Amino acid sequence: MSAVLTLDHVKKVIGGKTIINGLSFSVREGEVFGFLGPNGAGKTTTIRMIVGLMDISEGDIVICGKSIKNDFTGAIKEIGAIVENPEMYKFLTGYQNLLQYARMHDGITKEKIREVIELVGLTDRIHDKVKKYSLGMRQRLGLAQCLLHDPKLLILDEPTNGLDPAGIREIRDHLRMLTRERGMSVIVSSHLLSEMELMCDRIAIIQNGELIDVQTINEFTEQATAAFAFETGSLGDAATWLKSDWNALMMEEGFSVEITREQVPVLIKKLTAEGIDLYGVKAVAKTLEDRFLEVTTK
Amino acid sequence: MGKLIINECAKLFRRTGTWVMFAIVIIMILGIGAFLKYGEVNNPPQVNPAWEQELAMQLEADRAALEETGQNNATLRMFYEREIAVKEYQLEKDLAPETGVTLWSLMSEAQAVIGIIGVFTIIIAAGMVASEFSWGTVKLLLIRPIKRSKILLSKYLTVLLFGGLMLTVLYTVSALVGLVLFGMPEQARPYLAFADGEVVERSMFIQLIYNYLLSSIDVLMLATMAFMISAVFRNSSLAIGLSLFLMFMGGTGTMLLASKFDWAKYVLFANTNLTVYFDGVPPVEGMTLAFSIIMLLIYFVVFHLLAFFVFAKRDVAA
Ligand SMILES: Nc1ncnc2c1ncn2[C@@H]1O[C@H](COP(=O)(O)OP(=O)(O)OP(=O)(O)O)[C@@H](O)[C@H]1O
Ligand SMILES: [Mg+2]
Repeated sequence: MSAVLTLDHVKKVIGGKTIINGLSFSVREGEVFGFLGPNGAGKTTTIRMIVGLMDISEGDIVICGKSIKNDFTGAIKEIGAIVENPEMYKFLTGYQNLLQYARMHDGITKEKIREVIELVGLTDRIHDKVKKYSLGMRQRLGLAQCLLHDPKLLILDEPTNGLDPAGIREIRDHLRMLTRERGMSVIVSSHLLSEMELMCDRIAIIQNGELIDVQTINEFTEQATAAFAFETGSLGDAATWLKSDWNALMMEEGFSVEITREQVPVLIKKLTAEGIDLYGVKAVAKTLEDRFLEVTTK
Repeated sequence: MGKLIINECAKLFRRTGTWVMFAIVIIMILGIGAFLKYGEVNNPPQVNPAWEQELAMQLEADRAALEETGQNNATLRMFYEREIAVKEYQLEKDLAPETGVTLWSLMSEAQAVIGIIGVFTIIIAAGMVASEFSWGTVKLLLIRPIKRSKILLSKYLTVLLFGGLMLTVLYTVSALVGLVLFGMPEQARPYLAFADGEVVERSMFIQLIYNYLLSSIDVLMLATMAFMISAVFRNSSLAIGLSLFLMFMGGTGTMLLASKFDWAKYVLFANTNLTVYFDGVPPVEGMTLAFSIIMLLIYFVVFHLLAFFVFAKRDVAA
């Protein structure tokens, strides 16, 4: 599969401070690429450089074979983006806002605008002033704005911010549809890590402006050991060996322990042999979030 | 470019503030009209029977002044020569000075409103770029397949369009109000202009358009400056504050400087009032119309170079 976006040793220095330090990765055609990192890692800064809002101090960014540095208009044509919050002209209606952006690209028909409005589910409210929109509606309008010109690459900086669960699900479905049916590639940065798990094919983790890892979502979660919560009666002396041999964490009604699936029946047998009442065992799947914290706090 | 200007106009005219500005201009014209009408009703105009003698006396005084000061001051000499030529022409053609209130009085008085238009145009110019930053919309504006310089140009042209439209409204509305309140003057009075050592008669309508445009030059320069500050510093309060301060204080300050230093003629505000070359005295002796026009052009180009260079280059971190 060909690369839609390539970052090549990208560096950004602002006021003598290196904010992005030699970032390199590629986004393939038709994939949803997650961009993960704690606050201040440099996600937004990287996105600003990709869309040409900020100059690149060193290295290059290439979109569909066109460098954003040397061929800005050619490269940016292929991109639809939301950078941080999708701020719109509040004194205009949603429709008038979309018209603003439609006039800045070639060949966007009224029909196309209507189709996009329908896709993001704003048909009923599109003629209301944006100042009357809720945050979620503004997110939808932001999404509509980046789909108008059928870009090859969609860049969404925290697109689920402010959406209700139904809205988040809808965005997810849209992204699936756009990547599957139209072959778009998508970059998503998000703080809702559990969301990333459901949305992305691959994720890149950055911290302090450096790339830590790029992995497929499966690789990423598989590397996490699972945790199990045991609901028991009084543990008595068992607490001692549970702590020392199994590294268990005592809780109010039992304990939790990090073990593999195969070890679960072994431990259950041992507990029943000791005459401890066992009420239930629950797998506490380690989320992407735990894995993420594991990786970034190393 | 056309579509970009449509975009800017849509943003401008869909805001209530813009319409309030137009309303204020129209209300001010009506106010001036009412004031003039009130004066006319209370003091009906009378023809001064002795106007020829009075004009002749003024002419004598002008000639004496020319003798006295005209020797060593070229600009004063020009001023008196013009005064004398115009007065001689009036006596010769038997053109009594206007006494009543006419359409022309209103249109001429209405030029005072150009100052207000200046304030409004500066406010619009100052907000053009800076507002996009404070609204945060600049991020969506600059990720289009359009060069930043082109977007900036469309914004500047929109400022010019706004200023031009305001002036047109001022000119036509004051003409209409004048027609309604005072009617058309019975005989068309020409304006006596002094050009190339000769007095020529000019249509009042044309002359007023000249005057409007001449008085708009400092508005144009200040709006351009406000636009530049807005594009460079991305802060509309700074752009409005500085430009309005200079608008009100720049002229006075420059006159003070001009009385002491010769280099004051290079200051922007020494050159914005081109009417001095037609019926007044330039601030520094030896200044000519050509000099002022060149200075204005230099300032104009510098403002634009600054605005375009900084706006096209700087990172957008809003
Ligand atoms: N204009 C700027 N000048 C100086 N430093 C900046 C500027 N913009 C960002 N930074 C710094 O760059 C680093 C990365 O910021 P960035 O906004 O890219 O982080 P982020 O990953 O998007 O964080 P968040 O998750 O909070 O959105 C931060 O340390 C920030 O302080
Ligand atoms: Mg961010």
